[in-house]
Amino acid sequence: MTTAAAIEVRSLSKDYASSAGPVQALKKIDFDVPEGAFVSIVGPSGCGKSTLLQILAGLLSSSSGQVSVGGTAVTGPAPGKISFVFQDATLMPWKTAMDNVLFPLEIQRIPERERIRRAAHYLRLVGLENAAQCFPHQLSGGMKQRVSIARGLAQEPQIILMDEPFGALDEQNRIKMGHELLRIWEATGKTILLITHSLTEAIFLSDTVIVMAPHPGRILEQVDIDLPRPRTYDVIGSPAFGSIRNHLWRMIEIEPAEDEAMSTAPAL
Amino acid sequence: MMRKLLAALAILVVWEGVVRLGLVNPIILASPSGIGSALVTDGVPFLHAFRITVTSIAIALLASLSIGVGIGLIVGATAFSYAAFGPILSSLFAIPLIVWYPMLVVWAGIGPESKILFAIISSLIPVALNTAAGVRQIDVRYEQFGRSVGAATRTIYLRILLPFALPSILAGLRIGTALAVAGVIVGEMLTSTDGIGFWISYHRTVYNTGHVYLGMLLAIACVLIANAVLSHLERHFGAWRLDELANIAPA
Repeated sequence: MTTAAAIEVRSLSKDYASSAGPVQALKKIDFDVPEGAFVSIVGPSGCGKSTLLQILAGLLSSSSGQVSVGGTAVTGPAPGKISFVFQDATLMPWKTAMDNVLFPLEIQRIPERERIRRAAHYLRLVGLENAAQCFPHQLSGGMKQRVSIARGLAQEPQIILMDEPFGALDEQNRIKMGHELLRIWEATGKTILLITHSLTEAIFLSDTVIVMAPHPGRILEQVDIDLPRPRTYDVIGSPAFGSIRNHLWRMIEIEPAEDEAMSTAPAL
Repeated sequence: MMRKLLAALAILVVWEGVVRLGLVNPIILASPSGIGSALVTDGVPFLHAFRITVTSIAIALLASLSIGVGIGLIVGATAFSYAAFGPILSSLFAIPLIVWYPMLVVWAGIGPESKILFAIISSLIPVALNTAAGVRQIDVRYEQFGRSVGAATRTIYLRILLPFALPSILAGLRIGTALAVAGVIVGEMLTSTDGIGFWISYHRTVYNTGHVYLGMLLAIACVLIANAVLSHLERHFGAWRLDELANIAPA
């Protein structure tokens, strides 16, 4: 693992105009994500974490500050360089799993032979080689999200941004998919930046957890997770895990909003 | 199957009997044999008229499908355009468009153009409304997905949004079809020189009740044909929607 920064964010701010006046969604955000690292962002609803991810993906413009990915400033979507995995798998229901994975590659004009090789390879990597010809409605929630991850990986990006990819899954599937994601990350060496509501998920997966707070959206702390890898389910019950979890929990729970008393407690 | 045939036969016998026994004035209700003899004496002009009517309906539906989808995509493109133009379309849908018919005849003449134009106008509104609503209810993340993989706006519309809206468009087309069939036939009844509606109207004025009923049966046949085509399209393009409906989170 090198220490070069795959993502650099410098004093990034984002203001919205709303009917109640201007809203500061993000205030002076600064962080780096080293190449090949797994970084998670946690924080209650309204802390701007989704907005932040969309700015990184070039889907939304910032109000001020700099964002660069792989050394170049982000000015718009970077297909083939950044893949975005959404909370709902956003598969096209009229296409098979295989065709869903092929679609972005076709858009990106990858030669047909290479498209098919990649789609088959990444479907196998996420354990769905036997479901390639299934339509989304024939797949479970977890399988759909794995197709979505394969679709992201098949574009062979440097960076994968994930916006609560397992948010729609139940707790058990969520932990299973997290474990699966670790395996995939270790197999591909991609840089992953993941948003989640779940502290357990964030600690279990990440090298670093970035804790955000709302009103305005800001970073409270970046916590390095020094748990040894490879990690198994057992680590979740360890005292070290518990103390990190308590530390994060207290930070999110105690931190008062700067301009509003209420902030939603994060779901586990 | 056998029971259905027997039931149909029984209805025909009772129907024929009611008219023959003089229980109902034959000017009000034609007997099955009266309809049969109308078919024998004037079958050729009626079948010719049937072809003209079916062709007009098909032309009108093709036109209103393409224009209606186009308008619907524009109206449904953004939340703003939907809020601005959606209500206009909805209120147009509520107006009985037949009040425009005299003007359409002035503009397009008494040839087939006026009735086709009328059918297009009445059927494209539900198509446009359903297209716009179909596009609007797609999760905004699908558009973001399209942009994030580098798809051009045109590609996002044609390859992501339009297929998503297709079941909704077909539902609109189903309403539009009923309106197009009625539009063409009413147009023929009011001002025209041929078609099922024209012959229904003509024979009504000369009290050929059997001919009127024959025309009505052919008008029903138009609806059945149109519905069969639609059902085929729905099965072909909309099948995934049945299972998937619950899984598409509205934006």
